[in-house]
Amino acid sequence: MLDVVGTLVRLGLAAVWLTSGSIKVSDPGQTYLAVRAYDVLPGGLVHPVATALPLLELALGLFLLVGLGTRIVAVVSAVVLLLLIVAIAQSWARGLTIDCGCFGGGGQVAAGQTRYPQEIARDAGFLALACWLTVRPATRFAFDGWLRSGRAEQAVEERELERT
Amino acid sequence: MGGAERSARKRRQQQTAGARAVAQARGPAGPDKKIIAIVVAVVLLAGVIIGGVLWTNASKNSTAGQTITPQTASAALDSPGERQGVTVVSGKADAKVKLDIYADFLCPYCGELQKGFGDQIEQQIQAGTVQVTYHMIPLLNSRSDPPGYSLDSANAALCAADETKFTSYHDSLFKNQPQEGARGYDKSQLIKLGQDLGITSPQFATCVNSSIYNEQLNAALQQILRNPAFQGTPAIFHNGTPINNWAQDDNWLANLINQA
Repeated sequence: MLDVVGTLVRLGLAAVWLTSGSIKVSDPGQTYLAVRAYDVLPGGLVHPVATALPLLELALGLFLLVGLGTRIVAVVSAVVLLLLIVAIAQSWARGLTIDCGCFGGGGQVAAGQTRYPQEIARDAGFLALACWLTVRPATRFAFDGWLRSGRAEQAVEERELERT
Repeated sequence: MGGAERSARKRRQQQTAGARAVAQARGPAGPDKKIIAIVVAVVLLAGVIIGGVLWTNASKNSTAGQTITPQTASAALDSPGERQGVTVVSGKADAKVKLDIYADFLCPYCGELQKGFGDQIEQQIQAGTVQVTYHMIPLLNSRSDPPGYSLDSANAALCAADETKFTSYHDSLFKNQPQEGARGYDKSQLIKLGQDLGITSPQFATCVNSSIYNEQLNAALQQILRNPAFQGTPAIFHNGTPINNWAQDDNWLANLINQA
């Protein structure tokens, strides 16, 4: 039963990363502006980060989708989400008026148009998914399961051999 | 030992023997699968990274190596001495409607304004009813990648004004507007556009390359930012009053002319 829940969690987080990553990758100019708007990176780092972040999100999404290295990918996901939450929180604290650009968009918005609490709550929700998979990475229909089944079968066989 | 127990033990022995044979035939299962997993992981990662970087760069640098397609405009719209400081004045001095248009060549809404009303405005200038003072505002100078297109293009447009080619230069830049956040046009592309529009003077290239008006353009930007009526680009002012309904009302210009 927990495996079923875990599978939904894994596929859910995969969908989040694949969606956010593909939207960002399809509009690199907008992504560049969104990263700039946080006003934390030195000028020279905006371009590389704006290029790498969507690809990292896509990669995390793909690995979660096939269920390969679920625990490691979940840990990386949690770190990335934490960084994003910190980035949004610092914008809020400094009184910047930006859209997080989490799912496309991003950049400056009018003073009354910020949605920092909602954005942080949403990312915290995704963080919870990543934490679940970190603690309990076992899921159905996962590459990991296929890998482990091999090892488990072998272990059973070896135990059988030892007994005789 | 009972008969049932004996046969169970025999069955188990047969099973383990079978399992051993299978295990031997298959070889050690762990390492094989691990290799497959690593290969899959590497292929996935490499595909995403290589494909992604290629795509991103291609998309962001789409203006690289491009020629800015020249747009023609009536020669009547430009006159010697049209550049006044870092503004360009187009139209008769006795026109009844005098507009100030503040725009940045990188700003998408400025591109919309030009697309929607550029022709109308130029027709009215030619008819003598409207005089426009164009203000090049490098508001988005940091918003190209690499930064600097707003200033370079504003400076180049003023250089074109010195050669009485402002209107066609201005129209060409908006017609071929680069995307915000992406690569703009570099100075050699801006010079090539001037040449394609018929500028022959070597001073034009010098003017573009030396960014001669940058300082004044930045000063003008700081000045307009202090005006509370200025809410960003594009901005149209009629006798100092902002016209904010241009995006909603297709007839704003006609109405303005009729009311004047």
